[in-house]
Amino acid sequence: MTAGLYVHVPFCLTRCGYCDFNAYAGLGHLAWRYVEALEAEAGLWAEEWRTERFGSVFLGGGTPTTLDHADLARLLAGLRRRFDVEPAAEVTIEANPDTVDAAKLDALREAGYTRLSMGAQSFDRRVLEALERVHGPASVRRAFAAARAAGHTNVNLDLIYGANGETHASWRRTVEETIALRPEHVSAYALTIESATPLGRKVQAGLVPGPDPDLQADMFDLACELLGQAGYRHYEVSNWALSGFECRHNLGYWRKQPYLGMGAGAHSYRDGRRWWNLRPPAEYLDVVEHGRHPVGGEERLTQEDERLEEIFLKLRILEGVPVTSVADEVASGFVEQGLLCELDGHLVPTERGMLVLNEVVLGLAS
Amino acid sequence: MLATASECTSGHVTSLTSREHSRWRRASDPGEYAVVTETSRIRNFCIVAHIDHGKSTLADRILELTHAVAARDMRDQYLDRMDLERERGITIKAQAVRLTYEHGGIPYELNLIDTPGHVDFTYEVSRSLAACEGAVLLVDAAQGIEAQTLANFHLASDAGLVIIPVLNKIDLPQADPEETAREVGELVGWDPKDVLRISAKTGQDVPALLQKVIELVPAPQGRREDPLRALVFDSTFDAYRGVVAYIRVKDGVLPSRAKIHLMAANADSEAEECGVFAPEAIPVPELGPGEVGYLVTGMKDVHLAKVGDTVTTAGKQRAREPLPGYREPKPMVWSGLYPAEGGDYTALRDALDKLKLNDAALQFEPETSKALGFGFRCGFLGLLHMDIVKERLEREFGLELIATAPNVEFHVIRGNEVIVVHNPSEMPPPGTYDQVEEPVVLATIVTPSTYLGAVLELCQSRRGELIDITYLSPERAEVHYRLPLAEIIFDFFDQLKSKTRGYASLDYEPVGYERADLVRVDILLHGEPVDAFSSVVHRDKAAQYGRQLVERLRELIPRQLFDVAIQAAIGSRIVARETVKAKRKDVLAKCYGGDITRKRKLLEQQKKGKARLRRVGRVDVPQEAFIAALRVDQRAGQKAGQRTGGKP
Repeated sequence: MTAGLYVHVPFCLTRCGYCDFNAYAGLGHLAWRYVEALEAEAGLWAEEWRTERFGSVFLGGGTPTTLDHADLARLLAGLRRRFDVEPAAEVTIEANPDTVDAAKLDALREAGYTRLSMGAQSFDRRVLEALERVHGPASVRRAFAAARAAGHTNVNLDLIYGANGETHASWRRTVEETIALRPEHVSAYALTIESATPLGRKVQAGLVPGPDPDLQADMFDLACELLGQAGYRHYEVSNWALSGFECRHNLGYWRKQPYLGMGAGAHSYRDGRRWWNLRPPAEYLDVVEHGRHPVGGEERLTQEDERLEEIFLKLRILEGVPVTSVADEVASGFVEQGLLCELDGHLVPTERGMLVLNEVVLGLAS
Repeated sequence: MLATASECTSGHVTSLTSREHSRWRRASDPGEYAVVTETSRIRNFCIVAHIDHGKSTLADRILELTHAVAARDMRDQYLDRMDLERERGITIKAQAVRLTYEHGGIPYELNLIDTPGHVDFTYEVSRSLAACEGAVLLVDAAQGIEAQTLANFHLASDAGLVIIPVLNKIDLPQADPEETAREVGELVGWDPKDVLRISAKTGQDVPALLQKVIELVPAPQGRREDPLRALVFDSTFDAYRGVVAYIRVKDGVLPSRAKIHLMAANADSEAEECGVFAPEAIPVPELGPGEVGYLVTGMKDVHLAKVGDTVTTAGKQRAREPLPGYREPKPMVWSGLYPAEGGDYTALRDALDKLKLNDAALQFEPETSKALGFGFRCGFLGLLHMDIVKERLEREFGLELIATAPNVEFHVIRGNEVIVVHNPSEMPPPGTYDQVEEPVVLATIVTPSTYLGAVLELCQSRRGELIDITYLSPERAEVHYRLPLAEIIFDFFDQLKSKTRGYASLDYEPVGYERADLVRVDILLHGEPVDAFSSVVHRDKAAQYGRQLVERLRELIPRQLFDVAIQAAIGSRIVARETVKAKRKDVLAKCYGGDITRKRKLLEQQKKGKARLRRVGRVDVPQEAFIAALRVDQRAGQKAGQRTGGKP
């Protein structure tokens, strides 16, 4: 079993209204210190994680591509030096269409980044505006073409559905346009309103309507249909891939493989223990620069936690849970309702079941 | 109380301090008992008023004026001991306090009996009044006569009391003493010029009021030689002393440690102690004719000393006739109380047992609901009483409760048989009985004339029958209606207030049972009847009621994994239907950056939310739904609290 390596880059050019990730606009002046801190943090963990073999590296954010391409190259080289990263490891970097150009994309490929995950979100201008994205649909097309031109052969497009103003028809155009580009991987997320975001506050104040769950359900069905017809396999609730292009790194989370997260607010997991780094970049920098581990909290999973996680993670990636591990009458109820089906002694959610997975998980776990 | 000791005639024990009391105890010898205040210098009176007309404030001023309470011990609403009474600004339990006040150089013993102030407790009020010779009828000079002013006046007048009308709050800029004096004078038969005008808040002219009480309220009658007859006007259970009865001696003498007999309860006991409240409890060797005080009965069951019973001496000297007017406490409103957590059933039973010790009017019997599990069908004097019991159970016993919609007691007549129904789901199916009878009340509503039309319309829509309309003044009308009690406990007070911009007031008294065309409306969830939602409604309104409830439930029942049909049925006929569409999306969209912990916590939260739902058949129902079934009633219940409350 290989491990995963996650690196968090908390910088963004602007902050999108819906986003509640650990990301900040206007902290670019910390970038150079941050890259050095990441290298220092890697040094702190290297010994402890010496025995693990890493099958994937993932630079997430924030917007990692706000960093200079030389920094990004140096960062990856440093990680490879300190950790046992497989030569053929999947190395993903998240990118916003506006932060990449031909030269940068070229440099990234050169540096060893094998997978590009692009935040397209939509091909509908109104939706992008509702999400407060700074780029337009044209940037996505341009960035995608540039990626191909630079030789990136494993590209993901992230989509978000259910923003204010989006209709079933406009979502269809977004999915169709996505398929036309033929990325290797598509992530489609239902917009979730987080209360501690500008958009969340607007929804609470009644200035913007929240997403209609029934419309989002219809959009989910449409994505399943169109992407399925186009040859993408639905392998996780929100993820589709052409055969062989499933995201190895994310699968590692869901399969409970160990992962080491570095950078502000990054999460790690190993041997039944989860821990997370300090979230504010300034605090993170301060602690690492003083040579200490920047851990902000941890938890040890109880048996009950383990069971709940096992069920919800395994159901998410359609591996399912063994029929024998859950109460018969609960499971058979879900099978009758068409939310679960039985495959090789495992209970696997149907597409309808995936959409109400919380209910199914809580039912099976109780 | 210490201050008054010196003012007492020597030999009187009305104001013994605790130190003197202990001395007296050592010297105790039944043969040497001092004579209690001469009957001619006793005045027993109460203050009656509409809610918020200033009764408790006036009582506070009188306590101060008579030095019954030292200034440093004074607090607002001194006589209201329960937290609930203070918060709601109402009196629930009666209190009696002995005061000394000098008039014309002679010290008088004034017994102020503080009566409960709510329509739920009309019978209790009537017993408190029966313990007095006079009543101060207090009227807010800014508000004028209200429904409870009238109700209290009639009660006091029926009890043969001398009534002293008094205008209060004359310091308020909006007070209209002339007009109010005219109204009150007309009601009581006094020249408006003679109606006393005071401010209980500032204390203005409160001494004049006390002088009027002494001059106008007759001294009690009653002879020491007669067999003992003392009226119980309230009783409480004290954990250390057992049942304590509040009594007014009518005839004879009640010595401490007498062998006593309670006539209605037909129970014997030995009085452990007599005493008076001044305002703290002080034992006395005896209570003589006309005196008011307490009796530690030596009993352990409050139901043996019910309000209205007569205490007499056990054995040969027993009185032949009890005092008139005793009535068994009779619940008017019923509701199912269920623990929100099924495991709390035993705790609820114990709590009800304890409350009942102190509340002879509370009744309960175990019942089982398919929807709510094990609980109790409880009988209350009214909505306020119900509210108070529920709140005390929750507050004093830490219970979380679900209360079903309140209902009245129905009488189902089948041949010669009368089936008493306290729970709508027990109502027999149509066609299996001859007729149903429901309780009817006589309601008094006082309203500004401008809203008279709206009031009449409301009463008509509630199956009311107009008795008469009289005018207190050209601007204010007094309306009498016969109304089914069931209509009053359903949103009536709330509607009355909103249709009259808060100006109308209401009082009512039960006047018996009448035949009515009533049917049971059942609610079915996913095809299964839910007993806790059943109600008994007039046939003409049943379909509309069913539609409203079904609509309300559709808003409250969360979407489930399947379509949930909500139906209202009368017998086998479905009169309304709504559907809660199956939920299609309930999934966490993104597993971000390996933060599994947050996902798990969100799921755990969702699980906790689900745990608060009641599984009824296959449907998860939130507890609010059971309360929502009485949404309108619930609002009325809160208002019932407000109407008696309203003080900060």
